[in-house]
Amino acid sequence: MKLPAPNAFPSPEEAQAITRRDMLLKGGGAFGGLALSFLLGQDDFARKLLAKESHTGEQAASPAMGDSPLAPKPTHFPAKAKNVIFLFMEGGPSHIDLFDPKPALEKLHGKPQPESFGKVLLAMGEQNAPIMASPRKWKRHGKGGVWVSDWLPEIATCADDISVIRSCWSNGLNHAGGVCQMVTGSTLAGRPSLGSWVTYGLGTENQSLPAFVVMNTGGRTPVNGVRNWGTGFMPALYQGTPFQSGPTPIRDLETPSMISAEQQEAKLTFLDQLNREHQISREAQTELDARIRSYELAFRMQAEAPEAVELSEETEKTKQLYGMDQKATAEFGQQCLLARRLVERGVRFVQLFHGAGSRWDSHSGLEKRHAELCQSMDKPVAGLLKDLKQRGLLDETLVVWGGEFGRTPMSEKGDGRDHNPYGFTMFMAGAGIQGGRMLGATDEIGLHAIEDRLHVHDFHATILHLLGLDHMRVVYNHKGRPERPTLNEGEAYHKIVG
Amino acid sequence: MELEPISAHHCLSWSLRSIGKIFVASLFCLLLPLPAFCSEKPAAEAEKISPEAAKFFEERIRPILAESCYKCHGEEKQKGELRVDGLATLLLGGESTLPAIVPGSPDESLLIEAIRYESYEMPPNGKLKEEQIEDFVKWVEMGAPWPGAHSADHPVAQRKEKITDEDRDFWSFQPIAHPAVPKIPSQELNRRGIDPTWPKNDIDAFILEKQFEVGLTPAPVAEKLTLLRRAKYDLTGLPPTPEEMEEFLADDSDDAYERLIDRLLASPQYGERWARHWLDIVRYAESDGFNQDAYRPNAWHYRDYVIKSFNEDKPYDQFVREQLAGDELAPDDLDALAATGFLRAGIYEYNQRDIKNHWSEILNEMTDVTADVFLGLGMGCARCHDHKFDPLLQKDYYQLQSFFSGVYGVDDYPLATEEELTTYREALAVWEEKTADIQAKIDELETAQLEKSDKASIIKFTPDLQAMYFKAPEDRTAYEHQMADLIHRQVLDGRNKVKSKFASTLKGEKLEQWKTLKAELAKFDKEKPKPLPTARVIQEVLPKAPQTVIPGARASEPVEPGFLAVMQGDRFPEYLTSPGKITPLPQSTGRRSRLAEWITQEEHPLTTRVIVNRLWQCHFGTGLVATTSDFGRLGEPPSHPELLDWLARKFVEDGWSLKAMHRRMMTSATYRQTALRVDVALAEELDPANRLLWKQPIRRLDAEQIRDTMLIASGELRQEFGGPSVSVATPRRSVYLQIKRNRRDYFLEVFDWPDGLTSTAKRNTTTTANQALLMINGDYVLGRAKKMAERLLKEKDRSSAERIDLAYRLLWGRAASPQEIAATEGFLEKQQTLATDQDKSELTAWTDFCHVLLNSNAFLYCD
Repeated sequence: MKLPAPNAFPSPEEAQAITRRDMLLKGGGAFGGLALSFLLGQDDFARKLLAKESHTGEQAASPAMGDSPLAPKPTHFPAKAKNVIFLFMEGGPSHIDLFDPKPALEKLHGKPQPESFGKVLLAMGEQNAPIMASPRKWKRHGKGGVWVSDWLPEIATCADDISVIRSCWSNGLNHAGGVCQMVTGSTLAGRPSLGSWVTYGLGTENQSLPAFVVMNTGGRTPVNGVRNWGTGFMPALYQGTPFQSGPTPIRDLETPSMISAEQQEAKLTFLDQLNREHQISREAQTELDARIRSYELAFRMQAEAPEAVELSEETEKTKQLYGMDQKATAEFGQQCLLARRLVERGVRFVQLFHGAGSRWDSHSGLEKRHAELCQSMDKPVAGLLKDLKQRGLLDETLVVWGGEFGRTPMSEKGDGRDHNPYGFTMFMAGAGIQGGRMLGATDEIGLHAIEDRLHVHDFHATILHLLGLDHMRVVYNHKGRPERPTLNEGEAYHKIVG
Repeated sequence: MELEPISAHHCLSWSLRSIGKIFVASLFCLLLPLPAFCSEKPAAEAEKISPEAAKFFEERIRPILAESCYKCHGEEKQKGELRVDGLATLLLGGESTLPAIVPGSPDESLLIEAIRYESYEMPPNGKLKEEQIEDFVKWVEMGAPWPGAHSADHPVAQRKEKITDEDRDFWSFQPIAHPAVPKIPSQELNRRGIDPTWPKNDIDAFILEKQFEVGLTPAPVAEKLTLLRRAKYDLTGLPPTPEEMEEFLADDSDDAYERLIDRLLASPQYGERWARHWLDIVRYAESDGFNQDAYRPNAWHYRDYVIKSFNEDKPYDQFVREQLAGDELAPDDLDALAATGFLRAGIYEYNQRDIKNHWSEILNEMTDVTADVFLGLGMGCARCHDHKFDPLLQKDYYQLQSFFSGVYGVDDYPLATEEELTTYREALAVWEEKTADIQAKIDELETAQLEKSDKASIIKFTPDLQAMYFKAPEDRTAYEHQMADLIHRQVLDGRNKVKSKFASTLKGEKLEQWKTLKAELAKFDKEKPKPLPTARVIQEVLPKAPQTVIPGARASEPVEPGFLAVMQGDRFPEYLTSPGKITPLPQSTGRRSRLAEWITQEEHPLTTRVIVNRLWQCHFGTGLVATTSDFGRLGEPPSHPELLDWLARKFVEDGWSLKAMHRRMMTSATYRQTALRVDVALAEELDPANRLLWKQPIRRLDAEQIRDTMLIASGELRQEFGGPSVSVATPRRSVYLQIKRNRRDYFLEVFDWPDGLTSTAKRNTTTTANQALLMINGDYVLGRAKKMAERLLKEKDRSSAERIDLAYRLLWGRAASPQEIAATEGFLEKQQTLATDQDKSELTAWTDFCHVLLNSNAFLYCD
């Protein structure tokens, strides 16, 4: 008889079992391949090993690369970068006060927005608010002459390493939709985050650390909470792990203090004994072995993760580079430094939420809010770029900077600016991208992106491209749809990817 | 049918510009329906365009098309099914089915609309220059001359027929068959060495037949205690109690197992367990899901409705009808009203000013979830274009959506009888009268600020929306009501914010005055009637439905309610292919009732197959159709199509009873098979995925089962039914925990809890290091271990060995072996010496033991 054919896009719903014989063949004996996997995947993960094609349509990973769903996977084409550090300025930094100077605003200051630029929907609906000029002092920096305002004197010194994209746009008018889209591609909740897609598509090189790490400033949670590093419909093993400050970065990493090491060891020995006994009559049930291994892996994490966050081995000079010696920059400086240490150790995707909890949002008092936020971010980011560069890591790391949207040239409440998803700035550095450039453009008042308009989907496609992935070939089948990270939209920005 | 490239409209416009032969052809076009005639003739003539026009085209139009458009709408890609590298395809248009250009009429041409950024925004990476746009307008006005059109590029552009015979023949859209139960003679069983008493019911015959086809045999029945644990977890989500184990082991009667199933089905815990399966499917959660993620304190009425429905074995057709249209079908039935909470469980953004778009999102969400849940079809793709793989059209999607177009959400609908309502209103009137003076004085102080707040809220919306808001309610259309409601929610939100900090906005004498008044008012609190329970429900306002239109297809006709195109034809009775004329109710369109009727027809090819398959998945690990919410082409075909149809027919025969279906599945020998089959070599070779069910799969307990069992073992679980949801610290069953979309409970999340954002047909089952860390180091698990240890130590009448045995029974569902008892005693001794606090060494040792059991595979998995 004909059995149902395996699906072209394997997904967790499509159960296929694996035989012990196959396991032994694949794993090189006694579940050897599995033992090394970081997270051992789904109960039916094993069938993935047998799947003739991997998700990317390439040949399945060879046993030598490990059989875990998180084992490193081949790219679609040679990658420019191995890792990503995404510096997310949450709340919406004002592009026209940071990277995109608009002299026209001087002339229009205090006047209504000229009709010719088109009426836009505003989050706060202050429909007839006058134009507000930027009080910033502007200078061109580096050989490339990149415009950077006096709010970012340190990043300005890296001008020749960054490629400033001044024509980004998105669909999220509010923070929830904006952040959701910048993180997942959709303004509506329910889809995997970009970090999850990257983890799914590329696996990770360090099986003892999470593949995707998230850090938030101020101990706050960004808008939409844990969904920002969630996997939506994909299995949880691709999700981001939030790192906490302090010596135990990962939740539940440490044995509780009232339990001694000997006590814990004895417990684990007894547990292992019970589990082995239980397994005798169930030797074909590979998921049981996977669970036993997951404990072993947890202990490797216990050993390795604290080392990754141990900053005492960093020199004072390095710490100063990140601004860790100054109060204003200490926290974000430390997170940026941690980000470097993590990518050094093979963590695939690090996402830092600066100003977590919409702190960049400046509907009023923009001057004060932005000044503080810029100050706490500027030096750490510059430090990160310089440190990565001096260690030769910048070539293989993509650094991305930006928020969920920019801000309007029209004022709000007199001295603030409303959300502007119609045109804003992001920058990229590393990954072999030529720096010292300003790409794309907004209109004369910085309201709409007009030249080389780059939607979030294009932006994500660009990031994936730099990692060696074709955004249309990263596919996860879910409920009758071949799901892709950019919702089947977008194109990599050719001026960045070459 | 095959549509020829040139529309009648086109022929007409050409005819105005041409004379002679063309006229004849155009005339045909006018007289005849679309296809066939207006074909190559005029096109061929079209090549005769003036040199000036050709020059204009080649210099001003073609280069821009090539530069800015071909990449996505040319030979290689046809985004939106549109290509613009030839006149024929431009006239054919894209997936909107409208021509991209209407020669002579720029204002009717989608292409012009798109480059003007009026609807589509093309090209997407930057608007063309004004003069370029003007050139295009001029070109269309000229009649869109395209040198060499048709003959060179695409002689015949054809629109593919949307639904083919092959589509209509797809298995899930076929009428449900009446399969006969296969005959399996006992000699056949003997011949294959199968115990002739193995089959228990008809399901087994279907299963055996398929196994025999490939030369497989079934597994023997599992041990009694294994069956007990499996059945109890399956039906109630809870572990067997030690007493149940004794009782079941002692029961030697032939129907002991059948009676066990009946008893479990009758227990109220059944509803708690199975409600949770349903809540996964309907994306149930109790918060808004956006920035504020506001908690919905009365959402639980829907959850209780589901629990109650399962426990009462409410016929599934009625269950479906109530959730889709309870307000229309049974407006006086409070349960049926609470049922409409199904449509209210989606997301909502409290401060979204773009409410037109948000309303579309809300309706899209209702449409998606309805197709997922009841039809087992992922229709999300068809929202933007005809489905690329399945025979589902964009029109199907919006026809389905139009059934919901009249909905109006009410967040505080009183769940009270007429009588209770009257009593309440009377009492309230009395209280209001007594407090009228005080209230008036308070209002005097508050009104100005509230009015200011209202104004500030309303001004944030565009003028057209404000106009809808200020329109007298009796003059509003249904859509205006919907928009006004969305605005009013924001107005109320603004007022609440003002009220919550009112005291801080007053000073001096006024503040004192206000405080005194408030205190005076409070004195009457005792006389104020207790608020009635309220629920989030769906209502409608008017009999006339708002229009549903396909986005981007501005000029097209509004979409009316209709059923799937692929189901059209004479295979099905007319009632299943067309909604006919829907009779509106006084305050409702009646559309959802008609939709519910359609879905719950016994001849509907999807409804019963989908639900029996969902049950099958829960009992056998994988559905007969492995993709339980995707009965389309990207899903899998059924492993046992006859069995699926047979079950669907039986389901209806049994009065759409879910309990009868559980019983049917669980009393089969197929269900009773062991998971620990020994002779697996052949079966693994022939059917590694176990699609032929030659054994039961083992399964990991899910998040709720783990948490609930821990609480039972520790003796903490409070078995209370229903009511408002509780925090995770409360020792109640997990189905009663608060569900906040943006603040998910870590324990449940780590064990693959669904995200409550979209329908979850099957949970992921992961094995992660985070789970290991949580179980071995996490406070919560450690806390339960300690409580369990305390409980065991309180069993003063039991010996140490008996306590150990009890622990194994509680978590593993079986007695401890002498070896296990001995090993445990050794472990306890060791831990006692290792305990850091020697005063509590006994408790420490027992806590360690319980903690190990909680981490053990024998607990976390069910055979």
